[in-house]
Order: sequence, then structure tokens, then C-alpha cells
Amino acid sequence: MKEVIAVVRMNMMNRTKQALTELGINGFFAHEAQGRGVGLANPHVLQGAAKGYEEAAALLGEKGKLYPKRMITVVVPDKQVKGVVEAIMEVNRTGKPGDGKIFVLPIKGAVRVRTAETGEKSIL
Amino acid sequence: MIMVRAIVRPEKADDVLAALMDAGFPAVTKYAVAGRGKQRGIKIGEVTYDEIPKTMLMSVVKTADKDFVIETIMAAARSGKKGAFGDGKIFISEVSDVYTISSGVCETAGGEEASA
Repeated sequence: MKEVIAVVRMNMMNRTKQALTELGINGFFAHEAQGRGVGLANPHVLQGAAKGYEEAAALLGEKGKLYPKRMITVVVPDKQVKGVVEAIMEVNRTGKPGDGKIFVLPIKGAVRVRTAETGEKSIL
Repeated sequence: MIMVRAIVRPEKADDVLAALMDAGFPAVTKYAVAGRGKQRGIKIGEVTYDEIPKTMLMSVVKTADKDFVIETIMAAARSGKKGAFGDGKIFISEVSDVYTISSGVCETAGGEEASA
């Protein structure tokens, strides 16, 4: 089992939900979060700011601003991980910085509280 | 790659974010959580508060940077010199893959990059 954590744009939530449902994943866990990335900037603007042009410095904005994001956590069996990651990437991609990240973490176990089932049975 | 999840005081979150930025770790996700610790919450008079608001900061960094990131967060999140109950916890977990949605670049735990 793997835990897939995706941080995506706010307005992409509905499309992401639909893509997950089409893959047969009906249960997931959603957060509202704020985040910042590695801050990819236009190199020309960076050069301009380094040379001391005020307009270029203003374009860079204030340091470390946090943007609103949605965070989705879903636990999937190993063989579905690739499909889920590709589906999330496909619907969320605009090609611009800020589309988000997907993290894949190993999960040791899972239990369904209602029936006390463990392992992969509990998440299917 | 490892995921560092730090639960800190909400008023310290900005300090930690600034410290991480200065240390060269700009990428962080922040969200609000509520919880209690070993002290079973705070008891004020007759009332026990056991859902204390905290802020969770999540960052995925290279395994080699682990100790440096932990020290940076700890120094910024600690209240006073000695620290106090409620300053929070830091959890570390393994991350097997990291995908950047905009470019489709995949970084695996081994450090190699591939575009998906």
C-alpha cells in the first residue's frame, strides 16, 4: 500500500475528484492548505533585479508568500499507484509553476474501524 | 527523499517559515490542525482544553538535509531558550516518489530523475 499526497490548485479539486472516481477510488481525505514552492522565476527578471532595476524587483513580489492550495490524501494498493499519479498529473497540469506536487509514501498498514479488517482489504 | 512534518505553535509558524526560507528550503505546505500532547491538554480551573490549535508544516527534502532541516525548525519553533510544553513535534517519514505536476518530472528515493 502507498499513501499518495497531492497538493493542487484550489480550482482543480472537482476535476481531480472526478478523475479519482473514474479510477474506482471513491474514498479520499481532503485538506485546505497553504503553501509555497521552490519559487521558479523568470531568469531575465532575476537578472534585472540583481542589476537593481526596481520594476524587476517589484515583479518578484514579497518573499515567501503562501498561496492557498488543496491537499488530497489517498491510500491505494501498490498496483494502482501509477494510475492514480498519472491521472492526477493529467487533470492538474497547466504547465505553469504552481500546479503542485505529488508525494508517494509507503504505508505500513491500514484498518477499517467498522469491521476491523486489516491490510489491502480495508482500503478497497 | 524524506517528508518532514512539524506541528508548531500557530504564532511560531511565520518564524519557522522565514527560517526555512533563509536556510534554502522555500517549498513548504502549511495547514491548521488541533491536538493534544503528553500533558493531556491544558487545564485552566475546572476546564480542560484538549484540542489545542496548532499549525502543521510539511516539507519534502533530500535525505542528506534531514538533520539541518530539523535543527532549523527546532531553533525557530522553540519558545524562549529552554522551550516549553506545547512547542510541538517533528515527524519524519520516507517518501518513495515526488512528482512535479507542471513538468511531469519524477524524482525517486534514489535521487535519479525521470519525466513521466
